[in-house]
Amino acid sequence: MATYNRITPEIAQQLRAVVGERRFFAGEDIDPNYSHDEMPIYGKYMPDAAVDVETTEEVSEIMKICSANKIPVTCRGAGTGLVGGCVPLAGGLVLCTRRMNRILEYDMDNLVVRIQPGVLLKDLAADALTHGLMYPPDPGEKTATVGGNISTNAGGMRAVKYGVTRDYVLALTVVLADGRIIELGKSVCKTSSGYSLLHLMIGSEGTLGIITEMTMKLIPNPVCDISCLVPFRDVESCIHFVPKIKMANLDRQSIEFMDADIVTSSAAFTGNPIFPETVNNEDVGASVLVTFVGSDEDELDQKLIRLGKIAEEAGALDVLVVATTATKKAAWSARSSFLTAIEADTKLIDEMDVVVPVDKIPAFLIYIRRLGEEGGIRIRNFGHAGDGNLHIYCCSNDLEEEEFKKRVKIIMDKAYAKCAELEGQVSGEHSIGHAKMVYLKESVGEDVFRLMGEIKKVFDPDHILNPGKVCDESLAG
Amino acid sequence: MQKSDYRNMWVYIEHDGVTAAPVGLELCCELRKLCDTTGDRLYAVILGELPAAEVEKVKACGIDGIIYVSGTGYEYFNTDAYANAFTVLSRKYLPSAIFVGGTINGRDFAPRFAVQLETGCTSDAMQLEYDPATGDIQFIEPAVGGKIMAVITVPVLRPQVGTIRPGTFKYAPAGKKEEIEEIREEISFDPEAIRCRHIDFIPDEVDPEMDIANADCIICVGNGLKDAEHLERYRTLARLLGGKIGCTRPLYDRGILPYKLQIGQSGVMVKTKLYLSFGVSGAVNHTAGVDTDVFVAVDKNPDAQIFNYCDYGIVGDMDEVCDEMIDQLRAAGRA
Amino acid sequence: MLNILVCVKQIPDIDLVRMDPETGNLVRAGVPTLTNPLDLNALEAAVQVKEKYGGEITLITMGPPMAESTLRECLSVGGDKAVLISGRPFGGADTLSTSYSIVKAADMEGQFDLIFCGKESQDGATGQMASQLAERFDASQISCCCSIDEIADGKIRATRTLESGKEIVEATLPCLITVEKDNFYGRLPNLKAYLASKKAEITTYTENNIDGLDPEKIGVPGSGTIVPKIYPPELPEPGQIIRTGSPKTDVDELLKLLAEKDAI
Repeated sequence: MATYNRITPEIAQQLRAVVGERRFFAGEDIDPNYSHDEMPIYGKYMPDAAVDVETTEEVSEIMKICSANKIPVTCRGAGTGLVGGCVPLAGGLVLCTRRMNRILEYDMDNLVVRIQPGVLLKDLAADALTHGLMYPPDPGEKTATVGGNISTNAGGMRAVKYGVTRDYVLALTVVLADGRIIELGKSVCKTSSGYSLLHLMIGSEGTLGIITEMTMKLIPNPVCDISCLVPFRDVESCIHFVPKIKMANLDRQSIEFMDADIVTSSAAFTGNPIFPETVNNEDVGASVLVTFVGSDEDELDQKLIRLGKIAEEAGALDVLVVATTATKKAAWSARSSFLTAIEADTKLIDEMDVVVPVDKIPAFLIYIRRLGEEGGIRIRNFGHAGDGNLHIYCCSNDLEEEEFKKRVKIIMDKAYAKCAELEGQVSGEHSIGHAKMVYLKESVGEDVFRLMGEIKKVFDPDHILNPGKVCDESLAG
Repeated sequence: MQKSDYRNMWVYIEHDGVTAAPVGLELCCELRKLCDTTGDRLYAVILGELPAAEVEKVKACGIDGIIYVSGTGYEYFNTDAYANAFTVLSRKYLPSAIFVGGTINGRDFAPRFAVQLETGCTSDAMQLEYDPATGDIQFIEPAVGGKIMAVITVPVLRPQVGTIRPGTFKYAPAGKKEEIEEIREEISFDPEAIRCRHIDFIPDEVDPEMDIANADCIICVGNGLKDAEHLERYRTLARLLGGKIGCTRPLYDRGILPYKLQIGQSGVMVKTKLYLSFGVSGAVNHTAGVDTDVFVAVDKNPDAQIFNYCDYGIVGDMDEVCDEMIDQLRAAGRA
Repeated sequence: MLNILVCVKQIPDIDLVRMDPETGNLVRAGVPTLTNPLDLNALEAAVQVKEKYGGEITLITMGPPMAESTLRECLSVGGDKAVLISGRPFGGADTLSTSYSIVKAADMEGQFDLIFCGKESQDGATGQMASQLAERFDASQISCCCSIDEIADGKIRATRTLESGKEIVEATLPCLITVEKDNFYGRLPNLKAYLASKKAEITTYTENNIDGLDPEKIGVPGSGTIVPKIYPPELPEPGQIIRTGSPKTDVDELLKLLAEKDAI
């Protein structure tokens, strides 16, 4: 088991000297939010101290001090994670990148942008648009930092067409555990040059190094897009429709799944009933929201007609068109509110973010729902139907926390086992943190898990980078 | 038609048979000043019965005369009789301008008699000026969501009709004049001819949280708010300061808070001792609705217009500053 | 069967309109347009009436040819016919002359039992059009309607939202109604209606084919008001910005200042 040192007044003084009085916090001055992310159910842990960093050099100096003194360092962005990834399990120092929020430079010839890790996803997306460009990854949480998105390899709604965050990272500046600064990757789209440490760093949740600058790939903003809401009587027929969309060659950008419960919660929460609960006098059991792009309106119309045809064959209740700026805004803000809407009327919440083969979605959802009923836990879910990534929330308003945890554990254990049986993955885009470590181990198996641990040791022999996360069992026992 | 044939300014005194709505009094006070510049006489127009004590309040606002209209059709507000009364009166007395409080009913009938008279109508002026060169009133109001101020005039036609939102002008009575002309007119409107008739009125249940017009302290949350989830801390801060939550128009449009909490010219006009805005950009339409002793603004954009209206400003993340205020107020013993 | 008219307006996205600091003019070029949101609520109210009582919905708008897209959008969510009034002489109109032009063109399409309007447009925001149209249609009017309770025997019973409560009124037809947005949230078009709206025929009126149109009463000559000047809002001098370096110390300083002023 790893042992660490506390931040003594002397070490504090050294850290303070790096960032200055105003960006160093200790004791009661530390933001209490630093003890948790959006899932406080996984426990709260306060660090000894926290720093707001502004430059790569500062991060390097801080890592030198911390590695020399064996102080654990947990990197934090906006704290919007869902698996406890940025929570300082072993105390020590929280290194927060929120002030590194500058968009440094666009290269319009190569369509890349260089940014700092604390830039918020929504700010990057909006700023790119003003340059006529799109940053394709589109996770639901728009106030996450892009640095956090890279550390978790966040996916999002448009992944079904454009891929995930990983596909848009060209180069990273990384500070290693001992303070050395390295550059990974180049602003080019192809590479065949040795092991890709770049890709190892992506999704490593701050356990291998601290990302301090990144070069991201952008694409020209698509000329036009349109969305359709396709409502069905029940979840099964809705999900069976998904592969048919994929086969129809619509150049779809996203395929989002929502069931009746989440639509009701969201409408109540946002006051925005854009997704209908009944269509043609029939109750809607579940819907998919499909978005596709095209080079002009005629092309989109042709695709709409094709979609209409397959929707009819699949037994859809109707096909509703989201074509105007106002309805698009309303539809996507309703979609983006799903998690918040669940959180708003729930006291205790736990989640899973599994990926299953698309055709297994109905089986998995039906299974989960039954587990919820048997276990006395309210289940809410929505997800990215196009890639089989499901967000499942266990909710309760009346249980005691201990009882809730006990019941959820039983459900989670069974659900992850079912996920494995269906050839799925533990996490699609929220990552592992410490909350999902046991399930990761079960899912990948002993050999792979041990290899991950060996890699961690190469980068961070003293386990000072975000201890206790992903594959690091050094805090256990 | 000669513009010079039209003289004097009128203010419609909206009332419910018991009390005169404040907006009529506010308008009398403001127009007293304008009439002193133009040389016009200022008349209050009262339709139906208003108790004498309330009429005295109107008189105290420095008016030169009152036009009392009696007859059938005025027991309860209805567009037909009310619009007709002004049309008949205006044709007889040729006023230069008619002002109507921009309440829901004022905005309902004023544009209608303006059409009956085939004259120009403006709404929501925040400032009234007189241009001696043309003899026209300049109705000055924010436009395009408060990005610009527009000067609007009625250059040819008369009377000049304007609806003005309640709270736009201050109630500061100039005092009762020694001589007040009293004109009595009977203009009966056949009740059977009223096309939209009052059937019933169901008063809203009084929710003190929704009554922000008279709050001493308001925490106003603007479009900087990320989502409804982030609202709770502002409620906490309001609780600690003994204040209430309000919002700007975008938050109402986003469905996050109800219309009754929207502060500004097209919402509620507030008068507070302490006003704290978080994530409010400071469009004129909003700030026009705020009358406060101390104004604090928090916004991340250092160039936000709101900082021009505040006494104290903090440039920073609104949530962070709010949390910090909560912590420090609690540390100071507030609960 | 009710003959229903819905008046709609295409507006620029006012969030994106800006003032040219050099010329003092509003820059509208390249600014995307949208259908005035409250007009869509009015249309939704009309569609609900149509669904319940039967009827036909005619849409009408005045504007440049591109305003057709607003009519098509409205056709896709429940409109049956659409009328566009377009032509240079109509330009620069205020509400006095716009209401005249719209009523003259609507008269060409027959007599309407119900007329629905948005409470105000997001760009002009005068809120005057509805009352002025009602006068010119010689119709009764129900403003700020939050529910339509019954339509029978040439009468409509409805509820209005006033400042301090709800008023129930009964009006004779023809009647013009403006609605509250909260109870008439617009719907999404279905695919069939969406595609059909793109091909729908739109009746266009110009200054030359409206019966009895008095050219003196349209556009600028017919307007009662003019806008001789626009200017950026004058801003007061900025207040005291507290800059002590961290939110914590900023708040500390602020609370001190507020305490000194006896504000907390």
